[in-house]
Amino acid sequence: MRNDKSGIDRLLSNRVSWLADSGPEDDIAISSRIRLARNIEKTPFPMAASVEILENTLSIIMHAVRKSASFPDVIEFELEKVSDLERRLLLERRLISRELLACKKGSGLSVSKDETFAVMINEEDHLRIQAMKPGFQLHEVWSDINGIDDALSREIPYAFDSEIGFLTSCPTNIGTGMRASVMLHLPGLALSGQINAVVHGVSKLGLAVRGIFGEGSDNLGNLFQVSNQSTLGESEEQIIDKLINVIRQIINHEKNARQTLLEKKQNFLLNHVGRAYGILKHAYTISSEETLNSLSALRLGVDMGMFSSVDIHVVNELFLTVQPAHLQKYAMRELESADREIYRAALVREKLRNIDSRN
Amino acid sequence: MHCELCKKNQATIHIQEIIEGKKKALHICTECAAKKSHDDSILKGFNLAEMLYNLTGQMEFPFVNDEAAQIPGDPQVLLSCHSCGWDSDKFRKTGRLGCSNCYSAFKELLDPALKNMHRGTLHVGKKPGGGASNESGRLMLELMNLQKELEELVQREEYEKAAVIRDKINKLKKQMKE
Repeated sequence: MRNDKSGIDRLLSNRVSWLADSGPEDDIAISSRIRLARNIEKTPFPMAASVEILENTLSIIMHAVRKSASFPDVIEFELEKVSDLERRLLLERRLISRELLACKKGSGLSVSKDETFAVMINEEDHLRIQAMKPGFQLHEVWSDINGIDDALSREIPYAFDSEIGFLTSCPTNIGTGMRASVMLHLPGLALSGQINAVVHGVSKLGLAVRGIFGEGSDNLGNLFQVSNQSTLGESEEQIIDKLINVIRQIINHEKNARQTLLEKKQNFLLNHVGRAYGILKHAYTISSEETLNSLSALRLGVDMGMFSSVDIHVVNELFLTVQPAHLQKYAMRELESADREIYRAALVREKLRNIDSRN
Repeated sequence: MHCELCKKNQATIHIQEIIEGKKKALHICTECAAKKSHDDSILKGFNLAEMLYNLTGQMEFPFVNDEAAQIPGDPQVLLSCHSCGWDSDKFRKTGRLGCSNCYSAFKELLDPALKNMHRGTLHVGKKPGGGASNESGRLMLELMNLQKELEELVQREEYEKAAVIRDKINKLKKQMKE
C-alpha cells in the first residue's frame, strides 16, 4: 500500500482540478460537488463497529476502489498513520471532514490524483463517495459519480432497502444518500446588502446555505455553499434539477447586483477592489480574515475585467493555500499565529507579483 | 473565543439565526448550551446532540430543520436493536443509528422524524448497481406533480394546456394499472 509521506506530497504537487481548471459560469460558481453516503450490508455502521470491523471494512473498500478502477491514479491514506498537519491539509482541501481530524482508527481516504474523486472511509458511514468539478455543472458531476457508485456496488454489497433506499447512519441522509452542492462567490450581493435576504429565501425553499470557512466565521470571503437537505422521496435527478433552478436564480441576482454596483456606485466598487488589491500586493503581515475578504474583492475585480493579467484560478488557489495547514506546509515548519500572518502575506505577494492593474 | 455566557470556557458552539433579515449570533460553551437549551429562545427547537453533531460532523451535513432535530417518542421507553446492540437512548444522544437493522428496531421513533426531514417517505432514486428503484413510486410522484400542474392551469383558466396535462394524467394512470 502506498501510504507514506509521498502520498500528501503527490497530492500537493498536482493541480486541484476543481480550483485550477475552468468550468461553466465559474465567475460566480466556483465548483460543483456531489457526495453519496453508502454502507456495507450486514455490517454495523462505523460508530457502532469494533476496531477490527473498521479495519476490515477499510481494507475491503480500498481494495474495491482499486479494483473498480474508478479513480485514475488513486492515492490512499490510512488516517491513523498520517500526521496531524497532513490531516488538516486534507481537511482544507475538502477531502476529509472535521470529524476525521481526530485520529480515528480504521478510517481512511482514497482519492484520485487530481482530487476530482474521493472516498472517505469509515467516517459517519462506511463510504462517503465524493466527486467535484469546476464551475456550475451538477449534471456532469452526477453522471461521473453515478458511474463510480455503480462500479463500486459491483464490488461491495450496499445496505439498501427498497422502501427507504440506501441506509445511512444518520436518518437525514437515507434514500438517495446524496448531498449535492455548489460553491458560489457572491460579493455583489454582499456589497449591496442583499445577501441575508437571499440566504433567508433559499433556506425557505428547503435548501441549506452556509459559509465555506466553518462555523462562526460567516460570510468570510463571500463564499457560500448551497445544497439540498431532503434526500428521500425524490430521485437524484429531481433533487439536482431543483437545486440547479434555485442556484441559477442566485447567479442571476449576483449578476444584477454587480451590474447595478457598476452603474450606480462605480467609485465605491473601484475603491473596494483597488484597496483590497493594494493590501494583498503590499502587505507584510495579514490575518486570515483580511486575506479572504480581500481575495474576494480581487476576484470580483478580475471577473469585472479590472485586471489585465490575472488568472482567476490563481486567486481560487490562494483561497486554499492561505489557510493555516497549507501555510505551514509552505513554510515547512509549524507556525505561531503571528508567524502565519507574515508567511501568508509573503505567499500572497509572491503569487500576485506579476499582476498588472488596468484601472 | 470565550463563551458569552460564563465567560470562562472556550466557546465551541456557534449559533446563528436570521430572523427577518436580522442576524443574531451566540457563541457559547457546551455546558452553558446544556443549561440554556431549555429556556433560551435562540436555542429552543435545537437538540443539543444535533448541534454538537453539526459542529464535529462538519460543515456539509446540515440538519434539515428544527422539527427534524427533535426525535419524537417517549424517552422513558428504551428500545434496542438486537442486531448491533444500539439503543434509542444512544440514538437520541447522537442522532445516529448503529446498523441497517436499527431502521426496523426504531421504526416507531423514525417514521415521524423521517416525514419531517424529507420531502417524501418512499425512495424513488437509483438502486445499487444502477437502474431506478420503485418504478411505481416514481410514477406516483410524476402523477402528483401533474395533478398539481393541472390544478394551477385550471385556476389560471389556461384550459388548452390543462387538456394536454389531463391526457398525460390519464395515460399515466393507465400505465400504472398495467
